Amino acid sequence: MNKTALRMEDSHAGPVCILSIGGRIDSGNAADLLDRLNGLLAAGEKTILLDLKEVLYLTSAAFRVLLVATDEAERNAARVALCGLAGQVRELFEMGGLLEAFTIHGSREDALNRL
Amino acid sequence: MSLPQTTHIVIRNDIADLAAVTSAMERVGAEYDMPKTPLFQLQVALDEMVSNVIKYAWPEGGAHDIEIRITARDEGVEVEIIDDGRMFDPRDAPKRDKPLPGERPQPGGVGVQMTRHLVDRIDYARIGSRNHTTLTKLCALGPTAASGEQT
Repeated sequence: MNKTALRMEDSHAGPVCILSIGGRIDSGNAADLLDRLNGLLAAGEKTILLDLKEVLYLTSAAFRVLLVATDEAERNAARVALCGLAGQVRELFEMGGLLEAFTIHGSREDALNRL
Repeated sequence: MSLPQTTHIVIRNDIADLAAVTSAMERVGAEYDMPKTPLFQLQVALDEMVSNVIKYAWPEGGAHDIEIRITARDEGVEVEIIDDGRMFDPRDAPKRDKPLPGERPQPGGVGVQMTRHLVDRIDYARIGSRNHTTLTKLCALGPTAASGEQT
């Protein structure tokens, strides 16, 4: 296991399920993220907050997963929001033209106040 | 160590093999003290280009090799991707349309668009029956380059 490998850990803050993600999200592991998100939705989670603060970088494979999961959430009357987009990661969302495609909050605290 | 130095790997057209490309790039980055930001940018671009080859180069399927040559130079790092799939010049890929208001963007084409932003140069040549796609990321290498950077 190396230090850039994808890490995922979920926790709860009231009704919000927080999935903290670290490392890289790329074509090789994006399916693991989708499995995890689908698992949370299948388990009945209605509000999932993805905290990307520890993410080193992500590729368009990650965007694809986030778009698919957002659609899947809508079908389940649930929602997915993002927070913790730091410098490099935010720039990648900008480059992909995807900042407007998601509900994005600043810090985790901001997000929890608004969700 | 005097530059240029080339690391050469061959993978199969299987998305699971991308991990080997990522690790090879990580090793080169560490060995030549490539600063984190350009290293991560090149990792993203490389993932986009190689995953495109894996997904689209051989519509008829079958097992194929993809050759990757990572060269550390004084002025930066160059990655050449060689495949014998159908001709594809990433420089010709159409620009993405902006999604209509209220419409979610479609994922297609995002990778090439990001790659254009992430590297300093994309070169392409069709040599014989092979695509040679070269990504160049300019950056200073060496201990001073890596240590002077914010993480």
